[in-house]
Amino acid sequence: MMTKKILLSFPQKAAGQPMAMELIKTYHLDFSILKAFIDDNIKGTLLLEIKGSEADIEAGIVYLREHQIGVRDIESVVEVDQAKCVSCGTCTAVCAVDALEMTADWSLVHHDDKCLECMLCVKACPMRAIHAII
Amino acid sequence: MAKSYQEINEKIARGEAVVVTAEEVIAIVKERGLKEAAQYVDVVTTATFGPMCSSGAFLNFGHADPPIRMGQITINGVEAYGGLAAVDTYLGATQPSQDKGIEYGGAHVISDLIAGKAVHLLAKSQGTDCYPRKEIDTWVKLEDLNEAYLFNPRNVYQNYNAAINGSSERLYTYMGILQPNMGNITYSTAGELSPLLNDPLLKTIGMGTRIFFGGAQGHVSWMGTQFNSACPRDEKGYPQTPGATLALIGNMKEMNPKYIRGAVYEGYGTSMFVGVGIPIPILNEEMMAFVAVENKDLYTNVIDYSVPKKAKPSLKKVSYAELRSGAVDINGKIIKTSPLSSLKMAREIADELGNWIKKGQFFLQEPIQSFPQGNAIKGLEIKEGESR
Repeated sequence: MMTKKILLSFPQKAAGQPMAMELIKTYHLDFSILKAFIDDNIKGTLLLEIKGSEADIEAGIVYLREHQIGVRDIESVVEVDQAKCVSCGTCTAVCAVDALEMTADWSLVHHDDKCLECMLCVKACPMRAIHAII
Repeated sequence: MAKSYQEINEKIARGEAVVVTAEEVIAIVKERGLKEAAQYVDVVTTATFGPMCSSGAFLNFGHADPPIRMGQITINGVEAYGGLAAVDTYLGATQPSQDKGIEYGGAHVISDLIAGKAVHLLAKSQGTDCYPRKEIDTWVKLEDLNEAYLFNPRNVYQNYNAAINGSSERLYTYMGILQPNMGNITYSTAGELSPLLNDPLLKTIGMGTRIFFGGAQGHVSWMGTQFNSACPRDEKGYPQTPGATLALIGNMKEMNPKYIRGAVYEGYGTSMFVGVGIPIPILNEEMMAFVAVENKDLYTNVIDYSVPKKAKPSLKKVSYAELRSGAVDINGKIIKTSPLSSLKMAREIADELGNWIKKGQFFLQEPIQSFPQGNAIKGLEIKEGESR
Protein backbone atom coordinates (compact mmCIF):
# COMPACT_ATOMS: atom_id res chain seq x y z
CA MET A 1 0.00 0.00 0.00
CA MET A 2 1.17 3.49 -0.73
CA THR A 3 -0.25 6.99 -0.43
CA LYS A 4 0.37 9.88 -2.79
CA LYS A 5 -1.06 13.22 -3.70
CA ILE A 6 -2.17 13.91 -7.23
CA LEU A 7 -3.57 17.03 -8.83
CA LEU A 8 -6.19 16.34 -11.50
CA SER A 9 -7.32 18.84 -14.09
CA PHE A 10 -10.49 18.23 -16.03
CA PRO A 11 -11.04 19.96 -19.32
CA GLN A 12 -14.67 20.77 -20.03
CA LYS A 13 -15.01 17.74 -22.32
CA ALA A 14 -13.91 15.37 -19.55
CA ALA A 15 -16.78 16.40 -17.31
CA GLY A 16 -19.56 13.96 -16.56
CA GLN A 17 -17.49 10.78 -16.40
CA PRO A 18 -17.83 8.39 -13.47
CA MET A 19 -14.20 8.92 -12.55
CA ALA A 20 -14.57 8.39 -8.82
CA MET A 21 -16.56 5.20 -9.19
CA GLU A 22 -13.97 3.76 -11.57
CA LEU A 23 -11.09 4.55 -9.25
CA ILE A 24 -12.84 2.87 -6.36
CA LYS A 25 -14.45 -0.12 -8.10
CA THR A 26 -12.02 -1.04 -10.85
CA TYR A 27 -8.76 0.08 -9.32
CA HIS A 28 -9.56 -0.49 -5.64
CA LEU A 29 -8.25 2.91 -4.71
CA ASP A 30 -9.12 4.71 -1.55
CA PHE A 31 -8.98 8.48 -1.75
CA SER A 32 -9.78 11.69 0.03
CA ILE A 33 -10.55 14.94 -1.74
CA LEU A 34 -8.30 17.64 -0.30
CA LYS A 35 -9.38 20.48 -2.56
CA ALA A 36 -11.74 20.90 -5.47
CA PHE A 37 -13.01 23.72 -7.61
CA ILE A 38 -14.32 24.60 -11.05
CA ASP A 39 -13.22 27.80 -12.76
CA ASP A 40 -15.16 30.14 -15.07
CA ASN A 41 -14.23 28.07 -18.12
CA ILE A 42 -15.74 24.94 -16.53
CA LYS A 43 -12.24 23.56 -16.08
CA GLY A 44 -12.15 21.47 -12.94
CA THR A 45 -9.28 20.98 -10.51
CA LEU A 46 -9.16 18.25 -7.91
CA LEU A 47 -6.46 17.54 -5.36
CA LEU A 48 -6.64 13.92 -4.20
CA GLU A 49 -4.73 11.89 -1.71
CA ILE A 50 -4.95 8.35 -3.04
CA LYS A 51 -4.17 5.12 -1.26
CA GLY A 52 -3.70 1.70 -2.86
CA SER A 53 -1.14 -0.73 -4.23
CA GLU A 54 1.51 0.74 -6.47
CA ALA A 55 0.16 -1.23 -9.46
CA ASP A 56 -3.42 -0.07 -8.85
CA ILE A 57 -2.37 3.55 -8.50
CA GLU A 58 -0.41 3.35 -11.76
CA ALA A 59 -3.32 1.72 -13.58
CA GLY A 60 -5.74 4.27 -12.15
CA ILE A 61 -3.60 7.13 -13.39
CA VAL A 62 -3.40 5.55 -16.85
CA TYR A 63 -7.21 5.31 -16.84
CA LEU A 64 -7.53 9.01 -15.92
CA ARG A 65 -5.08 10.11 -18.61
CA GLU A 66 -6.90 8.01 -21.23
CA HIS A 67 -9.97 10.04 -20.39
CA GLN A 68 -8.25 13.39 -21.04
CA ILE A 69 -7.80 14.14 -17.34
CA GLY A 70 -4.46 15.82 -16.55
CA VAL A 71 -2.61 14.10 -13.70
CA ARG A 72 0.32 15.60 -11.86
CA ASP A 73 2.15 14.18 -8.87
CA ILE A 74 2.64 16.79 -6.22
CA GLU A 75 4.10 16.99 -2.77
CA SER A 76 2.97 20.49 -1.89
CA VAL A 77 0.42 22.92 -3.24
CA VAL A 78 2.83 25.83 -3.06
CA GLU A 79 5.59 26.53 -5.53
CA VAL A 80 8.53 28.92 -5.21
CA ASP A 81 9.34 30.81 -8.40
CA GLN A 82 13.14 30.79 -8.37
CA ALA A 83 13.31 33.66 -10.87
CA LYS A 84 11.51 35.93 -8.41
CA CYS A 85 12.89 34.60 -5.12
CA VAL A 86 15.77 36.62 -3.64
CA SER A 87 16.32 34.35 -0.61
CA CYS A 88 15.41 37.11 1.82
CA GLY A 89 13.98 34.59 4.27
CA THR A 90 10.76 36.45 5.11
CA CYS A 91 8.63 33.38 4.30
CA THR A 92 10.57 31.22 6.75
CA ALA A 93 9.25 33.37 9.59
CA VAL A 94 5.75 31.97 9.17
CA CYS A 95 6.55 28.39 8.24
CA ALA A 96 5.87 26.48 11.44
CA VAL A 97 7.15 23.16 10.06
CA ASP A 98 10.35 24.45 8.41
CA ALA A 99 9.20 23.40 4.95
CA LEU A 100 10.73 26.73 3.96
CA GLU A 101 14.18 27.03 5.42
CA MET A 102 17.48 28.84 4.88
CA THR A 103 20.46 26.67 3.90
CA ALA A 104 23.92 27.16 5.39
CA ASP A 105 24.77 29.59 2.56
CA TRP A 106 21.52 31.55 3.14
CA SER A 107 19.62 30.34 0.09
CA LEU A 108 15.96 29.50 0.50
CA VAL A 109 15.13 25.81 0.24
CA HIS A 110 11.61 24.39 -0.04
CA HIS A 111 11.11 20.92 1.44
CA ASP A 112 7.74 20.33 -0.17
CA ASP A 113 7.15 17.02 1.62
CA LYS A 114 6.97 18.88 4.95
CA CYS A 115 4.39 21.46 3.82
CA LEU A 116 1.10 21.53 5.73
CA GLU A 117 -0.52 23.85 3.19
CA CYS A 118 -1.31 26.67 5.61
CA MET A 119 -0.55 29.10 2.74
CA LEU A 120 0.78 31.78 5.09
CA CYS A 121 4.03 31.90 3.09
CA VAL A 122 2.07 33.01 0.01
CA LYS A 123 1.01 36.10 1.95
CA ALA A 124 4.39 36.60 3.61
CA CYS A 125 6.55 36.61 0.47
CA PRO A 126 7.39 40.26 -0.40
CA MET A 127 8.50 39.26 -3.91
CA ARG A 128 5.22 37.39 -4.52
CA ALA A 129 7.43 34.51 -5.59
CA ILE A 130 5.38 31.86 -3.76
CA HIS A 131 2.09 30.85 -5.26
CA ALA A 132 -0.50 28.16 -4.77
CA ILE A 133 -0.76 25.63 -7.56
CA ILE A 134 -4.53 25.50 -7.10
CA MET B 1 51.57 53.41 8.24
CA ALA B 2 48.51 55.30 7.10
CA LYS B 3 47.27 55.26 3.48
CA SER B 4 45.50 58.07 1.65
CA TYR B 5 42.50 57.81 -0.67
CA GLN B 6 44.80 58.84 -3.50
CA GLU B 7 47.30 56.10 -2.74
CA ILE B 8 44.55 53.49 -2.70
CA ASN B 9 43.09 54.83 -5.97
CA GLU B 10 46.54 54.65 -7.58
CA LYS B 11 46.78 51.01 -6.53
CA ILE B 12 43.29 50.41 -8.01
CA ALA B 13 44.42 52.03 -11.28
CA ARG B 14 47.48 49.77 -11.38
CA GLY B 15 45.31 46.73 -10.66
CA GLU B 16 47.22 46.11 -7.42
CA ALA B 17 44.61 46.94 -4.79
CA VAL B 18 43.82 44.19 -2.29
CA VAL B 19 40.03 44.08 -1.98
CA VAL B 20 38.09 41.69 0.27
CA THR B 21 34.59 41.58 1.70
CA ALA B 22 33.72 42.51 5.29
CA GLU B 23 33.17 38.80 5.98
CA GLU B 24 36.46 37.65 4.42
CA VAL B 25 38.46 40.31 6.23
CA ILE B 26 37.74 38.83 9.66
CA ALA B 27 39.97 35.80 9.06
CA ILE B 28 42.70 37.97 7.53
CA VAL B 29 42.89 40.15 10.64
CA LYS B 30 42.93 37.09 12.90
CA GLU B 31 45.72 35.52 10.87
CA ARG B 32 47.96 38.53 10.25
CA GLY B 33 47.13 40.81 13.13
CA LEU B 34 45.73 44.31 12.92
CA LYS B 35 48.91 46.12 11.92
CA GLU B 36 49.97 43.82 9.09
CA ALA B 37 46.36 43.40 7.85
CA ALA B 38 45.95 47.19 7.71
CA GLN B 39 48.94 47.41 5.40
CA TYR B 40 47.91 44.42 3.29
CA VAL B 41 44.21 45.19 2.72
CA ASP B 42 43.27 48.35 0.80
CA VAL B 43 39.49 48.17 0.50
CA VAL B 44 36.79 46.19 2.32
CA THR B 45 33.43 45.85 0.58
CA THR B 46 30.19 45.85 2.54
CA ALA B 47 26.65 45.33 1.24
CA THR B 48 22.99 44.89 1.98
CA PHE B 49 19.90 43.92 -0.01
CA GLY B 50 16.67 44.51 1.82
CA PRO B 51 13.47 46.53 2.03
CA MET B 52 14.02 50.29 2.15
CA CYS B 53 10.69 52.12 2.12
CA SER B 54 12.05 55.65 1.98
CA SER B 55 13.02 55.42 -1.68
CA GLY B 56 11.83 56.89 -4.93
CA ALA B 57 12.69 58.31 -8.33
CA PHE B 58 12.93 61.71 -9.93
CA LEU B 59 11.81 61.51 -13.56
CA ASN B 60 11.73 64.03 -16.39
CA PHE B 61 9.50 63.03 -19.29
CA GLY B 62 10.41 65.71 -21.85
CA HIS B 63 7.83 67.99 -23.44
CA ALA B 64 4.99 66.91 -25.73
CA ASP B 65 3.70 69.18 -28.50
CA PRO B 66 1.72 71.18 -27.53
CA PRO B 67 3.25 70.98 -24.04
CA ILE B 68 1.52 70.22 -20.73
CA ARG B 69 2.24 71.25 -17.15
CA MET B 70 1.54 67.88 -15.57
CA GLY B 71 -0.68 68.20 -12.52
CA GLN B 72 -2.34 64.91 -11.61
CA ILE B 73 0.07 62.22 -12.77
CA THR B 74 -0.17 58.42 -12.73
CA ILE B 75 2.34 55.89 -14.05
CA ASN B 76 0.88 52.40 -14.51
CA GLY B 77 -1.90 53.59 -12.22
CA VAL B 78 0.48 54.76 -9.46
CA GLU B 79 0.19 58.41 -8.48
CA ALA B 80 3.36 60.50 -8.84
CA TYR B 81 3.92 63.97 -7.43
CA GLY B 82 2.65 66.83 -9.61
CA GLY B 83 4.04 69.70 -7.58
CA LEU B 84 7.33 70.18 -9.43
CA ALA B 85 7.95 71.89 -12.77
CA ALA B 86 6.00 70.95 -15.89
CA VAL B 87 7.35 67.50 -16.73
CA ASP B 88 9.33 66.64 -13.60
CA THR B 89 7.92 64.25 -11.04
CA TYR B 90 8.88 62.24 -7.98
CA LEU B 91 7.56 58.72 -7.78
CA GLY B 92 7.60 57.29 -4.26
CA ALA B 93 8.36 53.60 -3.80
CA THR B 94 5.54 52.97 -1.31
CA GLN B 95 2.73 54.65 -3.29
CA PRO B 96 0.07 52.01 -4.01
CA SER B 97 -1.58 51.81 -7.44
CA GLN B 98 -5.16 52.95 -7.88
CA ASP B 99 -6.27 49.61 -9.33
CA LYS B 100 -4.05 46.93 -7.75
CA GLY B 101 -3.37 48.61 -4.39
CA ILE B 102 -0.21 47.56 -2.56
CA GLU B 103 0.33 44.55 -4.84
CA TYR B 104 1.69 46.96 -7.45
CA GLY B 105 3.12 50.24 -6.26
CA GLY B 106 5.75 52.86 -7.01
CA ALA B 107 8.59 50.41 -6.36
CA HIS B 108 7.18 48.05 -8.98
CA VAL B 109 6.97 50.90 -11.52
CA ILE B 110 10.60 51.81 -10.78
CA SER B 111 11.67 48.19 -11.16
CA ASP B 112 9.70 47.85 -14.43
CA LEU B 113 11.31 51.02 -15.80
CA ILE B 114 14.80 49.73 -14.93
CA ALA B 115 13.88 46.43 -16.63
CA GLY B 116 13.22 48.44 -19.82
CA LYS B 117 9.45 47.94 -19.85
CA ALA B 118 7.06 50.51 -21.30
CA VAL B 119 4.90 52.15 -18.62
CA HIS B 120 1.58 53.95 -19.04
CA LEU B 121 1.78 57.68 -18.33
CA LEU B 122 -1.42 59.65 -17.74
CA ALA B 123 -1.40 63.29 -16.73
CA LYS B 124 -3.93 66.08 -16.45
CA SER B 125 -3.63 69.81 -16.19
CA GLN B 126 -5.78 72.91 -16.09
CA GLY B 127 -4.00 74.26 -19.17
CA THR B 128 -2.14 77.57 -19.14
CA ASP B 129 -1.06 80.08 -21.77
CA CYS B 130 2.41 78.59 -21.77
CA TYR B 131 1.28 74.96 -21.36
CA PRO B 132 -1.99 74.67 -23.27
CA ARG B 133 -2.38 70.86 -23.25
CA LYS B 134 -4.86 69.56 -20.66
CA GLU B 135 -4.36 65.81 -20.91
CA ILE B 136 -1.74 63.36 -22.00
CA ASP B 137 -2.02 59.58 -22.39
CA THR B 138 1.10 57.80 -23.60
CA TRP B 139 3.60 55.03 -22.98
CA VAL B 140 7.22 55.65 -22.05
CA LYS B 141 10.35 53.61 -21.44
CA LEU B 142 13.37 54.50 -19.33
CA GLU B 143 15.39 55.23 -22.49
CA ASP B 144 12.76 57.82 -23.56
CA LEU B 145 13.15 59.89 -20.40
CA ASN B 146 15.60 62.79 -20.16
CA GLU B 147 16.65 62.03 -16.61
CA ALA B 148 15.69 59.24 -14.26
CA TYR B 149 17.49 58.89 -10.98
CA LEU B 150 16.74 57.26 -7.69
CA PHE B 151 16.93 59.65 -4.78
CA ASN B 152 16.29 57.66 -1.63
CA PRO B 153 16.00 59.86 1.47
CA ARG B 154 16.65 57.06 3.98
CA ASN B 155 18.50 53.85 3.14
CA VAL B 156 20.97 51.40 4.69
CA TYR B 157 19.88 51.82 8.31
CA GLN B 158 22.72 51.29 10.73
CA ASN B 159 21.53 48.46 12.97
CA TYR B 160 17.76 48.15 12.68
CA ASN B 161 15.66 46.53 15.41
CA ALA B 162 14.61 42.90 15.47
CA ALA B 163 10.84 42.35 15.84
CA ILE B 164 8.62 40.13 17.97
CA ASN B 165 4.91 40.04 18.77
CA GLY B 166 3.92 39.80 22.43
CA SER B 167 0.17 39.92 21.77
CA SER B 168 -2.29 37.10 21.13
CA GLU B 169 -3.10 38.25 17.58
CA ARG B 170 -1.04 37.80 14.43
CA LEU B 171 0.53 41.09 13.24
CA TYR B 172 1.14 42.16 9.65
CA THR B 173 4.07 44.60 9.69
CA TYR B 174 6.93 45.99 7.65
CA MET B 175 8.99 43.47 9.64
CA GLY B 176 6.98 40.67 8.01
CA ILE B 177 4.24 38.55 9.55
CA LEU B 178 4.75 38.28 13.31
CA GLN B 179 3.12 35.26 14.90
CA PRO B 180 1.21 35.73 18.18
CA ASN B 181 2.54 34.90 21.66
CA MET B 182 6.15 35.61 20.72
CA GLY B 183 5.93 33.03 17.95
CA ASN B 184 8.86 34.31 15.91
CA ILE B 185 11.53 37.00 15.60
CA THR B 186 12.50 38.79 12.39
CA TYR B 187 15.55 40.95 11.72
CA SER B 188 16.86 42.83 8.72
CA THR B 189 20.38 44.19 9.19
CA ALA B 190 23.19 42.23 7.50
CA GLY B 191 25.37 42.15 10.65
CA GLU B 192 29.11 41.99 9.98
CA LEU B 193 28.53 42.60 6.23
CA SER B 194 26.24 45.62 6.79
CA PRO B 195 27.69 48.87 5.38
CA LEU B 196 27.24 51.25 8.30
CA LEU B 197 28.19 48.69 10.96
CA ASN B 198 31.64 48.46 9.38
CA ASP B 199 32.26 52.18 9.72
CA PRO B 200 30.23 52.85 12.87
CA LEU B 201 31.37 56.45 13.31
CA LEU B 202 31.13 57.24 9.56
CA LYS B 203 34.81 58.18 9.34
CA THR B 204 35.01 57.26 5.64
CA ILE B 205 31.35 57.55 4.59
CA GLY B 206 29.97 61.03 3.96
CA MET B 207 28.58 63.27 1.29
CA GLY B 208 29.98 62.22 -2.08
CA THR B 209 31.10 58.70 -1.15
CA ARG B 210 30.89 56.55 -4.30
CA ILE B 211 28.85 53.38 -3.83
CA PHE B 212 27.29 50.39 -5.58
CA PHE B 213 23.64 51.44 -5.91
CA GLY B 214 21.17 49.12 -7.61
CA GLY B 215 23.89 47.86 -9.95
CA ALA B 216 25.07 51.37 -10.89
CA GLN B 217 27.79 53.57 -9.44
CA GLY B 218 25.89 56.01 -7.25
CA HIS B 219 26.72 58.37 -4.43
CA VAL B 220 25.87 59.22 -0.87
CA SER B 221 24.15 62.55 -1.33
CA TRP B 222 23.34 63.58 2.24
CA MET B 223 22.74 62.21 5.70
CA GLY B 224 19.61 60.06 5.66
CA THR B 225 16.43 61.20 7.38
CA GLN B 226 16.08 60.27 11.07
CA PHE B 227 19.89 60.30 11.23
CA ASN B 228 20.60 59.23 14.78
CA SER B 229 24.34 59.43 15.35
CA ALA B 230 23.59 60.23 19.02
CA CYS B 231 22.39 56.63 19.54
CA PRO B 232 23.79 54.57 22.42
CA ARG B 233 27.07 52.83 21.52
CA ASP B 234 29.38 50.22 22.95
CA GLU B 235 32.89 51.16 24.08
CA LYS B 236 34.24 50.70 20.54
CA GLY B 237 31.58 52.93 18.98
CA TYR B 238 29.19 50.37 17.47
CA PRO B 239 25.52 51.45 17.72
CA GLN B 240 23.28 49.48 20.06
CA THR B 241 20.04 50.76 18.50
CA PRO B 242 19.14 52.14 15.06
CA GLY B 243 21.76 54.79 14.29
CA ALA B 244 22.86 56.55 11.12
CA THR B 245 21.07 56.44 7.77
CA LEU B 246 22.07 57.66 4.31
CA ALA B 247 20.38 59.50 1.46
CA LEU B 248 21.50 57.91 -1.80
CA ILE B 249 21.44 59.04 -5.40
CA GLY B 250 22.07 57.13 -8.61
CA ASN B 251 21.23 56.94 -12.31
CA MET B 252 18.38 54.51 -12.99
CA LYS B 253 19.57 54.14 -16.58
CA GLU B 254 22.70 52.38 -15.31
CA MET B 255 20.87 50.16 -12.81
CA ASN B 256 20.04 46.46 -13.00
CA PRO B 257 16.49 45.26 -12.16
CA LYS B 258 18.06 42.39 -10.25
CA TYR B 259 19.10 44.81 -7.51
CA ILE B 260 15.99 47.03 -7.38
CA ARG B 261 12.80 45.08 -6.78
CA GLY B 262 9.26 45.95 -5.82
CA ALA B 263 8.12 44.27 -2.61
CA VAL B 264 4.79 43.74 -0.87
CA TYR B 265 4.23 43.43 2.86
CA GLU B 266 0.84 41.88 3.43
CA GLY B 267 -1.43 44.17 5.40
CA TYR B 268 1.20 46.93 5.42
CA GLY B 269 2.11 48.18 1.97
CA THR B 270 4.55 48.36 -0.89
CA SER B 271 8.28 48.67 -0.34
CA MET B 272 11.42 48.35 -2.40
CA PHE B 273 14.37 46.00 -2.07
CA VAL B 274 17.45 48.08 -2.74
CA GLY B 275 20.92 46.64 -3.33
CA VAL B 276 23.67 48.82 -1.86
CA GLY B 277 27.39 48.17 -1.55
CA ILE B 278 29.79 50.57 0.17
CA PRO B 279 33.58 50.31 -0.03
CA ILE B 280 35.50 51.05 3.16
CA PRO B 281 39.06 52.28 2.53
CA ILE B 282 41.55 50.83 5.00
CA LEU B 283 43.32 54.11 5.67
CA ASN B 284 44.79 53.01 8.98
CA GLU B 285 44.64 50.44 11.78
CA GLU B 286 41.58 52.12 13.27
CA MET B 287 39.53 51.41 10.11
CA MET B 288 40.94 47.89 9.95
CA ALA B 289 39.74 47.30 13.51
CA PHE B 290 36.27 48.64 12.69
CA VAL B 291 35.72 46.37 9.66
CA ALA B 292 37.00 43.30 11.51
CA VAL B 293 33.88 43.31 13.68
CA GLU B 294 32.00 40.02 13.96
CA ASN B 295 28.34 39.10 14.34
CA LYS B 296 28.95 37.98 17.93
CA ASP B 297 30.01 41.52 18.87
CA LEU B 298 27.17 43.41 17.13
CA TYR B 299 23.95 43.80 19.10
CA THR B 300 20.40 44.89 18.44
CA ASN B 301 17.15 44.84 20.41
CA VAL B 302 14.17 42.53 20.06
CA ILE B 303 11.30 45.01 20.02
CA ASP B 304 7.68 44.11 20.78
CA TYR B 305 5.72 45.37 17.77
CA SER B 306 2.38 44.63 19.43
CA VAL B 307 2.69 47.76 21.56
CA PRO B 308 0.87 50.41 19.49
CA LYS B 309 3.07 53.26 20.69
CA LYS B 310 6.14 55.01 19.42
CA ALA B 311 8.27 53.77 22.31
CA LYS B 312 8.02 50.00 22.01
CA PRO B 313 9.68 47.91 24.71
CA SER B 314 12.80 45.84 24.08
CA LEU B 315 12.44 42.29 25.32
CA LYS B 316 16.09 41.39 24.92
CA LYS B 317 19.40 42.62 23.58
CA VAL B 318 20.74 39.99 21.16
CA SER B 319 23.82 39.61 18.98
CA TYR B 320 23.65 39.05 15.23
CA ALA B 321 25.37 35.70 15.85
CA GLU B 322 22.38 34.68 18.00
CA LEU B 323 19.89 35.97 15.40
CA ARG B 324 21.70 34.09 12.62
CA SER B 325 21.75 30.87 14.67
CA GLY B 326 18.04 30.40 13.90
CA ALA B 327 16.70 30.69 17.44
CA VAL B 328 16.90 33.00 20.43
CA ASP B 329 16.03 32.22 24.03
CA ILE B 330 13.72 34.79 25.60
CA ASN B 331 12.78 34.09 29.21
CA GLY B 332 13.31 30.37 28.69
CA LYS B 333 11.30 30.18 25.49
CA ILE B 334 13.24 29.19 22.34
CA ILE B 335 12.00 31.46 19.56
CA LYS B 336 12.70 30.99 15.86
CA THR B 337 14.50 33.84 14.08
CA SER B 338 14.18 34.72 10.39
CA PRO B 339 15.95 37.29 8.23
CA LEU B 340 14.08 39.85 6.12
CA SER B 341 16.98 41.02 3.97
CA SER B 342 18.87 38.70 1.64
CA LEU B 343 22.34 37.85 2.89
CA LYS B 344 22.86 35.79 -0.26
CA MET B 345 22.26 38.81 -2.50
CA ALA B 346 24.25 41.09 -0.16
CA ARG B 347 27.25 38.76 -0.54
CA GLU B 348 26.80 38.84 -4.30
CA ILE B 349 26.80 42.66 -4.24
CA ALA B 350 29.91 42.82 -2.01
CA ASP B 351 31.68 40.48 -4.46
CA GLU B 352 30.48 42.45 -7.49
CA LEU B 353 31.68 45.74 -6.01
CA GLY B 354 34.99 44.06 -5.19
CA ASN B 355 35.33 42.91 -8.80
CA TRP B 356 34.68 46.43 -10.09
CA ILE B 357 37.46 47.77 -7.86
CA LYS B 358 39.90 44.97 -8.76
CA LYS B 359 39.29 45.58 -12.46
CA GLY B 360 39.92 49.31 -12.09
CA GLN B 361 36.32 50.23 -12.96
CA PHE B 362 35.44 51.78 -9.60
CA PHE B 363 37.47 54.32 -7.64
CA LEU B 364 37.05 55.57 -4.10
CA GLN B 365 35.63 59.05 -3.57
CA GLU B 366 36.71 60.80 -0.40
CA PRO B 367 33.70 62.48 1.27
CA ILE B 368 33.48 66.18 0.56
CA GLN B 369 31.68 66.65 3.87
CA SER B 370 31.31 64.45 6.96
CA PHE B 371 28.01 63.96 8.73
CA PRO B 372 27.45 65.30 12.24
CA GLN B 373 28.18 63.29 15.34
CA GLY B 374 25.74 63.52 18.24
CA ASN B 375 22.75 64.20 15.98
CA ALA B 376 19.59 63.10 17.82
CA ILE B 377 16.17 62.52 16.26
CA LYS B 378 13.05 64.33 17.34
CA GLY B 379 9.51 63.07 17.63
CA LEU B 380 6.40 64.95 16.59
CA GLU B 381 4.55 66.75 19.33
CA ILE B 382 0.79 67.08 18.96
CA LYS B 383 -0.21 70.67 19.76
CA GLU B 384 -3.90 71.23 20.39
CA GLY B 385 -5.96 74.26 19.52
CA GLU B 386 -5.24 77.31 17.36
CA SER B 387 -2.00 77.73 15.45
CA ARG B 388 0.86 78.97 17.59
